[in-house]
Amino acid sequence: MPASTSLEELIEALRGLPGVGPKAAQRMAYHLLQRNRRGADRLARALDSALHNLHHCNRCNNFTEQEICERCLSTRRDPAQLCIVEMPIDLNSMEQTQAYNGLYYVLMGRLSPLDGIGPTELAFGRLIARATDGVVKEVILATNFTNEGEATAHYLSELLHARDIKVSRIARGLPVGGELEFSDAATVAQALRERRDFD
Amino acid sequence: MSGKQRIDEQRAFVLHLYPYSETSLVVDVFSRDHGRLALLARGARRPRSALRGLLMAFQPLELGWFGAGEVKTLAKAEWIGGMPLLGGRCLLLGYYLNELLVKMLPREDPHGVLFDAYSAALHALALGGADAPELRRFEKTLLKELGYGLTLDREAVTGDQIIAQEQYAFQVERGPVRKVGAGDTANISVLHGKTLLDMIADDYTDPQTRMESKMLMRQLIAHHLGGKPLQSRRVFMELQEL
Ligand SMILES: [Zn+2]
Repeated sequence: MPASTSLEELIEALRGLPGVGPKAAQRMAYHLLQRNRRGADRLARALDSALHNLHHCNRCNNFTEQEICERCLSTRRDPAQLCIVEMPIDLNSMEQTQAYNGLYYVLMGRLSPLDGIGPTELAFGRLIARATDGVVKEVILATNFTNEGEATAHYLSELLHARDIKVSRIARGLPVGGELEFSDAATVAQALRERRDFD
Repeated sequence: MSGKQRIDEQRAFVLHLYPYSETSLVVDVFSRDHGRLALLARGARRPRSALRGLLMAFQPLELGWFGAGEVKTLAKAEWIGGMPLLGGRCLLLGYYLNELLVKMLPREDPHGVLFDAYSAALHALALGGADAPELRRFEKTLLKELGYGLTLDREAVTGDQIIAQEQYAFQVERGPVRKVGAGDTANISVLHGKTLLDMIADDYTDPQTRMESKMLMRQLIAHHLGGKPLQSRRVFMELQEL
């Protein structure tokens, strides 16, 4: 007997979530419909509201309900520093440090040539326009230390240098409290290659 | 678990990673003795996974896996070291090599010579070597090892020796043909005999050789890819234009 179309549609839609295969999607659909109808209703509303109200901030590209988000409008932050991160979750990590008081730009991804993600997909043009607004004096590249994050940082630094913007990259090395004995060899090797003068 | 299919201590490189579930990855790897394989890395996306950060492209690894299906299960991964991380522009060149392997190399087909050429190319790029010779050498090995037969040393029709000063039209399935007149549409690339001789000797000091050999390889690879576009090249070009 064929399943109802709404059910099929729901399962198909759930499969659009990252890492959700056909079986997991079925489980989720039955769970929502059978065991948690209130949760399902809440999810539907939250999704609908998020889709309609959230868009990218004109300045930092993060999600916001306004044209320009609160953080970008804040007068307590230093507009001369612009920190570039890959994802909103990375911005949250930076904020947790309470060590940074400048503004952000969220790329919403990283260069990943084999996945077909290049400067067009990441809208590098928008970022360059943001960084060259005349107020920004230093761009801090805080993309991840993966190959993709490094490639992204490299090309952004070239593009921004060419436009006379001071560019820096967050440092890489052993974690705070890190002991050589318990650190992975790749990290120790790179920390050694990137050693600096002891001053 | 079928213990018989267990493979240990294989030198390998990660070519690409695909998210499989919230916590796992499928890793496209190129191993020294077993060729290209898909390995399921269970839990590799968990925050504290020992595999996280280790399964990184362009770094020599030692892998172990088991299973008989199309996708095997990664059992063990160790970082070998000795290769500096690729940085900057070299990363894009590395992606180009990886994309060639992902798109052209069939699975589970051992290619030791190609593996060594790949490893050597990465090493040279990581140490800041000139990229043209490394890329051309790798492309040449790739075409040869995949059985596409790359004739550089003989005129395809007559079998005559290549003459440096002469012009040749390179026909994809045949090789260099002495160029008599203009207007032969079957020819894909026109180049000097010197370029062919330089390519045999892996000598890319002459700018004309660099240019012509690059065009030749681009056209041959495009032909063997059967129209599949190379994303890494598109991204590279777009980055140059910014
Ligand atoms: Zn903002």
